[in-house]
Amino acid sequence: MRNVLLVAKREYLEQIRGRAFRLSTVGLPILFAVIVAIGYGSSLGIGAHKHIVVASTSPTLANDVRNQLAREKGGSDMDVQVIAPASPDIRAQIIQQIQTRAIDGMLWIEAPNGSLPEATYISKSAGDFMTGSRLHEALDNGLIDEQLAHGGVTTAQADALAKGVPIVTYQVNSAGRVVRSDAQASFWKGYVMAFLLSLTTMIYGMNVARSVIQEKTSRIFEVMLATVKPSDMLAGKLIGVGAVGLTQIAIWLVAAGAIMATPFASVILTGQFSVHFSWFEGVLFPLYFVLGYLLYSSLFAGLAATCETEQELQMYMPLAAAPTWLSFALIVLIMNDSNSFWAVAASLFPPTAPIVMFLRMASEIPPLWQFGVSIALLVISIFATLWFSSKLYRIGILMYGKRATLPEIFRWLRYS
Amino acid sequence: MPVVELVDVRKAYEKKVAVQQLSLSIDAGQMFGLLGPNGAGKTSSIRMMMGITMPDSGRVSLFGKPFERASLDRVGYLPEERGLYKKMKVLDQRVFFGQLHGVSAHDARQRAVDWAKRLEIDNALEKKTEELSKGMQQKIQFIGTILHDPGLIVMDEPFSGLDPVNASLLERTLLELKDQGRAILFSTHRMDQVEKLCDSICLINNGQAVLSGRVREIKSRYERNHVIVEFEGSSSFLNSSQIAEARNYSGHAEIRLKPHADAQKLLHEAAAVATIYRFELVEPSLEEIFIRTVGGKVDA
Repeated sequence: MRNVLLVAKREYLEQIRGRAFRLSTVGLPILFAVIVAIGYGSSLGIGAHKHIVVASTSPTLANDVRNQLAREKGGSDMDVQVIAPASPDIRAQIIQQIQTRAIDGMLWIEAPNGSLPEATYISKSAGDFMTGSRLHEALDNGLIDEQLAHGGVTTAQADALAKGVPIVTYQVNSAGRVVRSDAQASFWKGYVMAFLLSLTTMIYGMNVARSVIQEKTSRIFEVMLATVKPSDMLAGKLIGVGAVGLTQIAIWLVAAGAIMATPFASVILTGQFSVHFSWFEGVLFPLYFVLGYLLYSSLFAGLAATCETEQELQMYMPLAAAPTWLSFALIVLIMNDSNSFWAVAASLFPPTAPIVMFLRMASEIPPLWQFGVSIALLVISIFATLWFSSKLYRIGILMYGKRATLPEIFRWLRYS
Repeated sequence: MPVVELVDVRKAYEKKVAVQQLSLSIDAGQMFGLLGPNGAGKTSSIRMMMGITMPDSGRVSLFGKPFERASLDRVGYLPEERGLYKKMKVLDQRVFFGQLHGVSAHDARQRAVDWAKRLEIDNALEKKTEELSKGMQQKIQFIGTILHDPGLIVMDEPFSGLDPVNASLLERTLLELKDQGRAILFSTHRMDQVEKLCDSICLINNGQAVLSGRVREIKSRYERNHVIVEFEGSSSFLNSSQIAEARNYSGHAEIRLKPHADAQKLLHEAAAVATIYRFELVEPSLEEIFIRTVGGKVDA
């Protein structure tokens, strides 16, 4: 145990003192905040002011579309100019203006009497589907307004109908109480926690692998093995690097707590996307981090012992990271029904359990027995992976010269 | 009681037998040379002594007891493949390895500083390994081998990478440690050092011991039919009928006489054509014995 702790301490101090730790501790939250800010800014239309021409043979319909666009949220980011009635010559002139970037796009509506209109959107940018989608919605609503007005419904009544009826969401919690819920905020909270969990697990799993390869290439293993058992070396490495991960998460949580205590945070806590964390999540997050980290890092350590360089290790990474991708691929399924068979199975299956459990928690807290089973299965698979990896590790770290082939790895497992 | 003992040890890797039926023992205060051509099984034998690999059969004992990992706290090991953490400070590394051997951090620090002064490398202690030359790294590694005051010191090619001044410094240090009662085993290809330093040797080839015993006793088994001549003038006497083989290094000749050859006759022939400064009848060198024993049987 003395040597396990000494190895862990060395790993911990070396990584904590390293530049990579300082950069990632400060850099990752900043990067994350920038990504969120850019996403939020994009959703508000920041930096996307557009000048659109709505040209139609029907002035009424063109004006209806403009009114619809002006009324929608974020409508101020779009200048809408109506040209109606418009002829094919005018259409050609407007296309010329698009070419010179005098305007961003044109919605051309042909509305023959007695039949449905035909619409085309012409712009310089082929990938501008957001604007196309907004125009499509505005045209649909404009048409409905027009039809309702023909049937004697006033514009105000038509608008009220077109606006729809908002549904306020509640959920029945585990105590049987009906409480207000916000599906969107819950989704983003679960998504962010799952994302952070997968990111930290992979980063620190890779750190363990990198550390194994560095010790192998620097030939330090042989001196170490003359004093420390391979299993103690592996355990010390996992504990040391894992502690670095927990330290980093703790720093982020403290920093997040400090930010939440400022007036700036009131926007986040009380706004449209208000987010609240329970103590339950506060306990589960580090627990699933530790379990996920131990599972992946012990696997990575075994694989790293079979490699000579980090480049060789990269070949295994897609395989090792596949469960993480699978977890995120299940998002839609989990959001639709967090208690479906596949959602429950994935939250119990050890490689996907940490991430999927948090995605499920975003919709509804799963039954406690499922947490128990998933944690028990994770612990069992961690021991199985450690057994497998320590066999690879024991032989692999003494093998220099070339990356082991699969048949060689199987032979190592048999001999060690 | 031998400090280390191998009895009928065998180790095979898949189809390749690395070591077979190897037996040797080293006592306290003894310097032991493990010799052999490349791939002979020296490193495999050393790894079994250190518990890095386990023998398939046979017995390894340390300090009179069957091998157990706890005994390794009393062993210093310098492997052939040197290993130091590149980004870590030298002193921190020595303290870390000292602690792994059960020495307190304070004592390990103090001993590392003392040894660094003795080996004239104390200015390197606060540097990172990657800033040091190969020779300096070698000395740092050596400090790690002896920092915990081991009873047994095992070194694989300890002189490689050292210049003559530092090699001599290491030789003196090893002799001091030997005089203090440490058992020292090292493998090397430098036969001159073995001859100077070792009390006993074991020569292994293809995993088997082909020659072992005390150096003096081994050399005495061979006829004293080698002559060293230092001369000035013609080297034509090297074509004498008394000579089986001669190597001439510009005024220094190493000669192997034919069986029952007359050395006095050769001296007369040499003196007739050159000025002789030295004419010495000697035993074959260990290098000669090594080549004769494994010659033609060395793995490519």
